[in-house]
Amino acid sequence: MKPPPANANINRLIALSLLLLVFSGTLGLGAVWVRQEISQTANRSRALVARIAEVERRLDEVNAEVAAAVNPDALLKQNQAMRLGLGTPQEVQVVRVEGSPELRLAAKRNREIFRLASAPAGDSAPAFRLVTASLR
Amino acid sequence: MSKGFANNRLTLLSLGVVACFMAVGVRLVFLHVIDRDELLRFVDKARRQIVIEHARRGTILDSRGNLLATSRSEVTIAVDAWALDEFLQIDKNPAKRARRAAEQQAKRVQLAALLGLPVDDIEKAFVPAMRAIKPEADQRDGKVDGLTKDRWVKLREGVDEPTFAQIEALNLRGLTAERIYRRVYPGNELAAHLIGFVNKEGSAAAGVESKFDLFLKGEDGWIESEKDGARREMAQFRTREIPVKDGHDVVLTIDSVVQHMIENELRGIGAKYQPKFATIIVSDPMTGRILGMANYPSFNLNEYNKAPLDVQRNRAITDQIEPGSVFKIVAAGAALDQGLVTPLTGFDCGNPLVNYKGRDLKLPKEDHEFGRLTVAEIISHSSNRGAAHLAMLMGEQNFYDYARKFGFGQRTGFQLGGEERGMLEAPRNWDGLTITRMPMGHAVAATPLQMHMAMSAIANGGVLLRPQIIQEIRDASGNVTHTYPPERVGQVLKPSTSALLAQLLHSVVGKDGTGAGFDLPGFEIAAKTGTTQKIIDGRYVTTHHVGSFVGFFPASRPEVVLTVIVDDAQVPGGRNYGRAVAAPAFQRIAEQLVQYLEIKPVAPATRRLLALSGGAR
Repeated sequence: MKPPPANANINRLIALSLLLLVFSGTLGLGAVWVRQEISQTANRSRALVARIAEVERRLDEVNAEVAAAVNPDALLKQNQAMRLGLGTPQEVQVVRVEGSPELRLAAKRNREIFRLASAPAGDSAPAFRLVTASLR
Repeated sequence: MSKGFANNRLTLLSLGVVACFMAVGVRLVFLHVIDRDELLRFVDKARRQIVIEHARRGTILDSRGNLLATSRSEVTIAVDAWALDEFLQIDKNPAKRARRAAEQQAKRVQLAALLGLPVDDIEKAFVPAMRAIKPEADQRDGKVDGLTKDRWVKLREGVDEPTFAQIEALNLRGLTAERIYRRVYPGNELAAHLIGFVNKEGSAAAGVESKFDLFLKGEDGWIESEKDGARREMAQFRTREIPVKDGHDVVLTIDSVVQHMIENELRGIGAKYQPKFATIIVSDPMTGRILGMANYPSFNLNEYNKAPLDVQRNRAITDQIEPGSVFKIVAAGAALDQGLVTPLTGFDCGNPLVNYKGRDLKLPKEDHEFGRLTVAEIISHSSNRGAAHLAMLMGEQNFYDYARKFGFGQRTGFQLGGEERGMLEAPRNWDGLTITRMPMGHAVAATPLQMHMAMSAIANGGVLLRPQIIQEIRDASGNVTHTYPPERVGQVLKPSTSALLAQLLHSVVGKDGTGAGFDLPGFEIAAKTGTTQKIIDGRYVTTHHVGSFVGFFPASRPEVVLTVIVDDAQVPGGRNYGRAVAAPAFQRIAEQLVQYLEIKPVAPATRRLLALSGGAR
């Protein structure tokens, strides 16, 4: 068998070198691209974290201002400055209602409804319609 | 056959490529193997950085979620005049450079207005200067002359965020900013003695801030990464990251509105009587939760450095006073509890001498001359001799044991610590007269909180509770991690005895009682007046007193325990008695509490029923 010519080996070497170049170049570019993506993502993430921290700082700031504004002392001063004349009710001004006010109001309302419902015949509208309308 | 590329030139080229690869390989070996350590040291020094992320300190809230202490970021503004100089030097065109300099100068005028500083001061800070450093450390600018560029001249600290945002918008060259968290107290003086404060160095100094620092401070995090030439972090090179853990929130049992009520009252007491000190405590008898605790004098937490140390003390737990007549609840409660007496049992309180264990003892003086008094009258008239008779009926040891059960002579276990134990000697250390003097509150010392909790035990069906100031602890996400339920210390009196004693204490504000005129109709104030002569130069004096009014309401269905103590009020004629200086404040606060806490009046029929059944429990 005839041995391959020396030039063919060199050709293969050159072709392999070129392939290696292309391959390593592609790898290199790929690595750079990946790194760039990682870098951009990391920076975006860092920017978001910084933004969250910024918003939290603002929240703290606003919360502190709100707390200072609704402090009883500050409200009393506002009351004086704005001449609102607001004050704690005196015991003599208070009328205490026994039982649940909601039930009491509901009972009062129902009494009115049933008075209407039991009204003599000849009313313009039937009683049941009044009841359902009022309960709605 | 074609020769292809196989000519000499191509051979040379391929050898060249291989040689280049080999050269790169050799260089890589040098960089990564041979010079690795040295290069890593250089990179570490030049690029690696560890950024510490400070944890945000937790907030302190009241029981209704109102903010009592929080952290707010503040900015310290400084100048690097050399950075401005370098920025201007970049431009080689003199006209352009002058225009830039003028622009910067105009911005500095705006900066001065925003910071509230004279323009001259700002201009002075922007003049590049050198500062002296140790020659051995002088390696920054290549010359070892003991001088280096001063790149940090502080302009102003404590700049708030909105102002800083405006300063940032100026885009002024040479400004540097450092952001720090500073503690702020929106209520200023509100609950100052309870909250405590964090000083400028960031150390918690007193109160909740100090005692619960472990929960509040959180854990700092850190990031190990690299920085670029402009000292900006390159986030992609982060190697290690320990996340920051923000501090927990501490929720107190106090109510800001109740706290404000009592502090307002204390300000009034301070202005009217200029006492040495005054204390007011409000609590829920059924849980031991403190709704308000305040002292006069007080201080502004945001200006703690201006307040003397003496003013910063929470006197409700650190100061001991003789409880005076308030201590008579021990003698009366114990005698009734043991069944030794009934409310109608009578004692001769007119005779100044009594025979006790074969010895004639001199009984203490009375404010008014009394004859025979029933136990009910002893309480309502606050008879010193009557109280002595009750204690003598029980005997030293028995009386002492009850005093201990009421919590005297031992710490209450207040969660903020720093409290005094009080003074209650064992009977073996008593002299012959102690059995006649201690029942009226002499020869014994207690903190205002001890007196308050003792009264609270009567309001709570005879159960002594531990005072609670912390309601719960929440993590940074708002989840409750710790709760503090009511803690029972012990049973002092039978429920029936405490209900009976409550009704007897209600008679104190009755027509003939020492607190007459200080009842709230329908709300059954049950209280005890106390007036203790102060000891000055080793002797009791008649012109300096500690006046107190300690009680609860409504007597048949106790909802609030309230203590008012005024030490050495300046009243003409020295009539600074509990009735005169403390009872009016008690009544005013009680009126407000009835409204605010929606306490309903007790109907007379219910009153009798509740009293018979041993209270509302």
